[in-house]
Amino acid sequence: MVLDPAIGLLITASIALLLASAGAHKLRDLKAFDEIFSAYGLMPAMPGMRVSWLVPLLEIVIAAGLVITVSRPYSGALAMLLLSGYAAAIAVNLKRGHRDLACGCGGPERRTIAAWMVWRNLLTALAAGVVFLPWTHRPLGLTDGLTIVFGVPTIALIYLCIDQLLGNAQRTAQMWGSR
Amino acid sequence: MTPLTISVIVLWIVVLALLAVVFALTRQLGVLHERIAPVGALMLNRGLAVGEPAPAVDVVDLDGASIRLGAARADGKSTLLLFVSPTCPVCKTLLPIVKSSGKHERDWLDIILASDGNPDEHRDFVRAQGLANVPYILSAPLGMTYQVSRLPFAALVDEAGILRARGLVNSREHLESLFEAKRLGVASLQDYFSPAK
Repeated sequence: MVLDPAIGLLITASIALLLASAGAHKLRDLKAFDEIFSAYGLMPAMPGMRVSWLVPLLEIVIAAGLVITVSRPYSGALAMLLLSGYAAAIAVNLKRGHRDLACGCGGPERRTIAAWMVWRNLLTALAAGVVFLPWTHRPLGLTDGLTIVFGVPTIALIYLCIDQLLGNAQRTAQMWGSR
Repeated sequence: MTPLTISVIVLWIVVLALLAVVFALTRQLGVLHERIAPVGALMLNRGLAVGEPAPAVDVVDLDGASIRLGAARADGKSTLLLFVSPTCPVCKTLLPIVKSSGKHERDWLDIILASDGNPDEHRDFVRAQGLANVPYILSAPLGMTYQVSRLPFAALVDEAGILRARGLVNSREHLESLFEAKRLGVASLQDYFSPAK
């Protein structure tokens, strides 16, 4: 499958935006994220050593790398690893029965982890795989610029809508299931 | 810029605007899910316990027909006792809602209105409100038995004669929350919001 560069750029830029906003969100309240990170219980407890700040930093570096042509394949691979890692971390904790764990995935409300988040992250990781597809080479024009400039916020909004709807369904299920 | 490019720009802007609206709607849905929780009515005092047999009372309605309240019913229907008064303004706004709910839920629910006082005054009230088809009881002991403190007050007794919900009802939401209370087995607003049992 050969990918048109406008589509490829649209997808990588969207993933870059997702990672950058996730990283920025975590950096804004690093203390809170630190607690969430240790609650996941995947790292051996190392007193005095805080590694949680590495996660948002990595997210932002990958985001930047995705928009630059030379670093795109490496960043794409890292993004796939990172997103699959999140999926695995959530899956492991769901398996452990830690259903009321805060997911730390941003947003104004504290949301607990759920199975749909595993699938969401796996799908996003899969989308990052477009960097490994062969892209056609053609000069990009004004229309391509429009596709990317308008397409990125469009994809972001669709992502937010789906996220919100699944979150609503999850909360309703919790409300009805609590009795 | 070619006309096609301009058309594409316009379309993108429309798509973004529509998505912004959809997103706002999904957020509002989330807020609604939280605010309109299915709850029982607000219970004002203790006493009659929800989930226990309702007190059995024999009464006579305005037309002289005798009704036994609080007993198990052979036809498998529940009874909604609604305490009203001709002098209560909220009752008047609630009655059309009660009538429409009664029609809507008639498969499983009978509505009975209850009050006390001068029968002539109540007959005028029944005529003015178009309540001829709804049994109307005048009985002070009934109100005391069900510990009615404020009007309009409702009590839902199920087919087995068990009191399922009781409390103040001021709106359609309150009224329907009584039905929800029966359906979900939640006694009251306080019960719903108390920590999971």
